[in-house]
Amino acid sequence: MRSILLSALFATALVTGFAQTPAAPPPANAPVTLNDLKNVDTPKTELKLKGDPDGGLTGNVSDIAVSDAKKGLSVPDVLNQIGQNKIAINFMWTLITGFLVMFMQAGFAVVETGLCRAKNANHTMMMNFMVYGVGMLAYWLIGFTIQMGGVGGVANLGGAAPLNTEWAINLFGKSFGLFGQHGIFLTQGGTYDVGVMVVFLFQMVFMDTALTIVTGSAAERWKYAGFLVSSFVLGAFIYPLFGNWAWGGGWLATLGTNFGLGKGYCDFAGSGVVHSVGGLSALALSIIVGPRLGKYTRQGKPNAIIGHDIVIVLTGCFILAFGWFGFNPGSTLGASGNGNLRISSVAVNTMLAGMTGGFGAMFYMWMRYGKPDASMSGNGLLAGLVAITAPSGFVNPVDSCIIGLIGGVLVCLSVEFVDRVLKVDDPVGAISVHGANGLWGVLSVGLFADGKSNYGGAWNGVNGSVTGLFYGDASQLVAQLLGMATLVGFVFSFYFVVNLAIHAVVGQRVGAKAELEGLDIPEMGQVGYPEFELKSRAVGA
Amino acid sequence: MGIVGILVTLLGFVIAVASLGLTQSVGGRMGMVLIGLAVSLFGILGIINPAYQKNADWRK
Repeated sequence: MRSILLSALFATALVTGFAQTPAAPPPANAPVTLNDLKNVDTPKTELKLKGDPDGGLTGNVSDIAVSDAKKGLSVPDVLNQIGQNKIAINFMWTLITGFLVMFMQAGFAVVETGLCRAKNANHTMMMNFMVYGVGMLAYWLIGFTIQMGGVGGVANLGGAAPLNTEWAINLFGKSFGLFGQHGIFLTQGGTYDVGVMVVFLFQMVFMDTALTIVTGSAAERWKYAGFLVSSFVLGAFIYPLFGNWAWGGGWLATLGTNFGLGKGYCDFAGSGVVHSVGGLSALALSIIVGPRLGKYTRQGKPNAIIGHDIVIVLTGCFILAFGWFGFNPGSTLGASGNGNLRISSVAVNTMLAGMTGGFGAMFYMWMRYGKPDASMSGNGLLAGLVAITAPSGFVNPVDSCIIGLIGGVLVCLSVEFVDRVLKVDDPVGAISVHGANGLWGVLSVGLFADGKSNYGGAWNGVNGSVTGLFYGDASQLVAQLLGMATLVGFVFSFYFVVNLAIHAVVGQRVGAKAELEGLDIPEMGQVGYPEFELKSRAVGA
Repeated sequence: MGIVGILVTLLGFVIAVASLGLTQSVGGRMGMVLIGLAVSLFGILGIINPAYQKNADWRK
């Protein structure tokens, strides 16, 4: 009898409690009326005077700004507050992630300095320190205008409407945007604007990241005056030009609307705009200044010149990985609206690719040389992060792992190729980490973008999601390849020619005596570690 | 030779951009862009860098 009762109870529960029966439709939402607004309870003053330890009384209807005190709270007041809250969330998100990206300068500084010899520590650190100011000055004066002056508004940040003038030419019957025209000194063209300021801060720290890549590849032999001029030109003209074409409404961004190539050139957070520009510039400069003394034997065999502090190198890699959570997720330029909740996916993709990149490099080095090389493991982490930067907003976690893993192996192969075949001296591996993997990141968008992202329903003015070759859209791959061809063919050439001119006028390389002595005293007037006795070790010491 | 290398590198970029006006097909454009990319890489790795390596300090 007991078992029959239990069975009956269970059957009843199945039908009434557990079964997926459709719920009754909810009552239609009544529109908000003025009375609804007037009748909202607010905490009494006596209560608030006692304090609010659990936060239940703080933040309520009385905090909404009222446009007309006599009329009291109105529906437009509430709607305006909602709109401003959305933009405030996006401002906060973009600014804070921008602050994280700014902190990456510290990561780059210690990675590069640790990978150089102690006798050049002050010089390497000083280049990394001052590139921040030089780049910012160049970008404020003219670079920002060229890059973003014609972007045509940023919806997530409330419009940034004054950035609306792009200089374009007509080619193949289509408009080719080449550079922006509003924003000089952040005042010209109405750009003294809260939204524009957010765009400036975020884009400025990205630009500075590209500049600091070059200081690593030319370290231990780059003349300080040459560094200053070269960095200024890169921040004022070369980086912003490609930045405009990709992110500022220029011709690469409009490949989709003008020529039906996917969603146009897509580079979510800058594998191309930031890292390839920096990495290819690093290659150009390393060719011009030549290898460090002692790097190659007369037969062209490379000598390993080991950095002085692996501890600080790996610490710097962690700082960079931390900053990358600003770099990639921040590139939504908002956390509220327009599909921006995908920031969680972008952040996870970023960390996963960094992880597989580190593993890829570590296992490659372990298998090839018998030990899990520490500096290459760090470079593998960075390579994975660089590679995922462009696709981070468009791919799924599994593909992120694949992209990062390939990046980790690619950086090892590229370092060997640059060092042994090209005989180009790159003390920190910047050409491989940022140049090779930046290009790989750009390409991987055209392969792995899964068509699941939806940032307000369109990208670069083309409806739908960014979709790569493996998910059905070959034309996106063409747009990405065209971006790569522009980076390799145009950006490299532009930077190379400019730096040849700087080499002729200012000089790019220090003298042999200064290089052998270490650049700290000849270039900076002070050694990096005054209380340490520096001993000659290995080649070129 | 360095100047020739720069011109070849730029030529690759021009070939890639020209694909937009010379053909409508995705395959045709992809082919031209890949050719342009290869030409630019040849300009850098095959002409510019060897030109600088000829006079490198380590050879002296």
